[in-house]
Amino acid sequence: MSALLTLERVSAGYGHQQVIRDLSLALGEGQLAALIGPNGHGKTTLLRTISGLLHPSGGTIALEGRRLDRLRPDQIVEAGIIHVPQGDLLFPEMTVLENLRMGAYLPEAAREEARRLEEVFALFPKLRDRQGQLAGTLSGGERRMVGIGRGLMAGGRLLMLDEPSLGLAPIVIDQIYEAIATLRASGRSVLIVEENAMRIAELADVLHLLDNGSFAWSGSGAELLSRPESLAAYLGA
Amino acid sequence: MNVAIQILSSGLTLGAIYALSTIGLSLVYGSLNMLNMAHGALLALGGYVCFYVMGVLGLPGLLGVPAAMLVCGLAGFVVYQLAARPMLASGGFETRIFIATIGIGAILGNVIQRSFGPQPVAQPLALHGALVLGEVYVPYQNLLILFVSVAMMAVVALLLGRTRVGRAIRATAQNRDAAQLMGIRIGRVYAQVLALSGALAALSGILISSLSGLLPNMGGDPMLKAFVICIVAGLGNVFGAVVAAFLLGLLEALIQYLLGVQYSFAILLLIVIAVLIWRPAGLFGRRQVVRL
Amino acid sequence: MSAGRRDLLVCLLLAGAMALLPQLVGTRYVVTQSTLFFIWAVVVSQWNLVFGVAGIFSLAQMALFAVGAYATAMLGYYFAVPMVVAMPLAALVSVAVSLVVGLACLRLRGPYVALLTLAIAQVLYLVVVNDTDCFTNPPSGCMPFFGGVRGFSRFGDLGFRALLGSKWYVAHYYVGLGLLTLAMLFSIAIVRGPLGLAFQALRDNPGYARSRGVGQFKYQLWVFGLSAFFTGLAGAFYGVQFGVVGPIVFSLATLLFLLSMMVVGGLGTVWGPLLGAALLMLADEGMREVGDWRDIGLGVILVLFVVLLPRGLAGLRLRGVSKAKQS
Repeated sequence: MSALLTLERVSAGYGHQQVIRDLSLALGEGQLAALIGPNGHGKTTLLRTISGLLHPSGGTIALEGRRLDRLRPDQIVEAGIIHVPQGDLLFPEMTVLENLRMGAYLPEAAREEARRLEEVFALFPKLRDRQGQLAGTLSGGERRMVGIGRGLMAGGRLLMLDEPSLGLAPIVIDQIYEAIATLRASGRSVLIVEENAMRIAELADVLHLLDNGSFAWSGSGAELLSRPESLAAYLGA
Repeated sequence: MNVAIQILSSGLTLGAIYALSTIGLSLVYGSLNMLNMAHGALLALGGYVCFYVMGVLGLPGLLGVPAAMLVCGLAGFVVYQLAARPMLASGGFETRIFIATIGIGAILGNVIQRSFGPQPVAQPLALHGALVLGEVYVPYQNLLILFVSVAMMAVVALLLGRTRVGRAIRATAQNRDAAQLMGIRIGRVYAQVLALSGALAALSGILISSLSGLLPNMGGDPMLKAFVICIVAGLGNVFGAVVAAFLLGLLEALIQYLLGVQYSFAILLLIVIAVLIWRPAGLFGRRQVVRL
Repeated sequence: MSAGRRDLLVCLLLAGAMALLPQLVGTRYVVTQSTLFFIWAVVVSQWNLVFGVAGIFSLAQMALFAVGAYATAMLGYYFAVPMVVAMPLAALVSVAVSLVVGLACLRLRGPYVALLTLAIAQVLYLVVVNDTDCFTNPPSGCMPFFGGVRGFSRFGDLGFRALLGSKWYVAHYYVGLGLLTLAMLFSIAIVRGPLGLAFQALRDNPGYARSRGVGQFKYQLWVFGLSAFFTGLAGAFYGVQFGVVGPIVFSLATLLFLLSMMVVGGLGTVWGPLLGAALLMLADEGMREVGDWRDIGLGVILVLFVVLLPRGLAGLRLRGVSKAKQS
């Protein structure tokens, strides 16, 4: 299996405070990989570093062999890494449709706009009815759908989702997980950050437990589900 | 009735002028949290470039206006490259860019003074004559100002609402990180916004000087008023700024009629402070950012 | 030795050294320029407390200075109040004005404060300049209430001209030096004292500081009001020193000059603004040769510093120390 995304000894943080240290990771084409672990241990920082919002202080990041760690965020999007950030970060004064179309801002994505829009509406039928509504007035679940949908509009080679189920009602979490399962079935490569390790373990090909800035454990979902007690301490379950 | 027409006419003219310079300031603040204190010098620069092209080179006004807009747009771009860009990533940007643009404004103002002299000059681009409404004379110049401003605002609205560049500007203003994750190169957006703001300043400066003449420091008071309008509307809110500009223009005309010119700014300011005590984020808050 | 004690010692040594200057360099030009330096240094040291220490982005400092100058001149001109009394009274007027401005502005966010204080300063200027109705009609001509464009003159002095004759300027030098020493002692007390600590806490961890009862607004208002006292006093002394108070004290060029002093020296430090004031006065002397390029030169200096060296010359030293610590 050739790796799609490779991280080698990546370190990053804010100011003088290092949040992740010497992380290495390989993600295969078509894989769904999950980053799990307690809050504040660098999962979001890692995604922000990959998408270029943060500059790594050391190490290399590559997509299919192409170095990304020196590029601007817009160049990294162009290279094919799509980041759906935590808290959605929608454009509150744009409508749902405008938000979705912003996802297809780059020319390559713009050509596929109409087709992808239908895909997004197929995945989240609710959004079709909400098209004209301002994003700032949506409910939490609807916002999350717009956030993920906006990411899907960009196409790309790798989709990164940061805590897609955070702060949602259980019934909405089910809908989001259904959508993630659909994405996985369609063969998309996904890197997902998730607090709820047990839930994501059912879907993920591989899980990485991030503890205090480095990987404490990596393994398949089946492995995690077969011996959850040894990880309970980490996950605070 | 006649008095009402008089106040309406001069109030709308003032409002139109304010709106034009306010849009630029508001866009710049909305997208990069930058208060551009060199804006006043850009107003003057625009006025003088038009004066130079028409009055000194003897070319028609149809050339003077775009030339001024081009020069000031370029000046805005240079301000971004030399001052804003180097400090964007580091801390204290809002304070530092404010101070830096005060310095840039002073430099530009002095360069203008050295080139054109400190004495007042008339702006050659001016219409003469007036429209007679009953017993009231409405100068054609006022109507021209109103027309140009409204047309320019429509252009800006179309630009922001309908074009790819405009979408990028709005996205950047609403959420900087998210805009980058859409593949928007925000550095380029910042440069475009400052250039656009410069071009608008040029047009605004030409219109102001067509009423009150050219002086190297002519931009100071209009800039301050434009900022006050931005504050009333809520910094960064373009649509609110246009509404507030016309409201304050009318109010100023009314105060001038009732109490005389010398107190208009002071009373305007008192009203603004009262508004801010009532609503600290401005009349239209910060929620309706760059929505047109 | 604690930082506060060290600053105190430096302050007294500097004051002592400066006290000798008129004895060593007797020329009138050097002495009066030094007096002007004292005046600007007082304003900058107080502005630095407001801007650099308390984090209030205020541009009203020159307006408070002007209030002090005008109040002194008007007390002397209309009521013949002796200057020794008028100056501290004027300083209190500045404090009163600063409290009104502070109450109106300080609850707002940074950029709003900057714009509003600038606008207030401009309105004060316009009120002075646009007021053309004669309030009194002395033989010298119509006199508007605020002095109009011409401003006030012959409103009295400290009495040194009568006492010392042509050497009065040396006495003013010592008055200025005394003022600056007091202002610096006050600055040190603020920066190193409880108020300085409170602001340090607010900068480092606003949430925690607030939860411990450190309220920003209250402390900011304190600093704003207290620093207005010395600023107003400097303005009062400025009026007495030159014998004229006119609208030029509101000029943007002066504001720019003083702002540059703070930025060049280093915002938020005890000695940076003083260093900046001295350097810019010297640079200004140097640029006197090139006449009207002076303002352009000042603008360039300000922009270069704020872009390339935002923490000023004092920051250079701090950076050197922290680099040494890292390596």
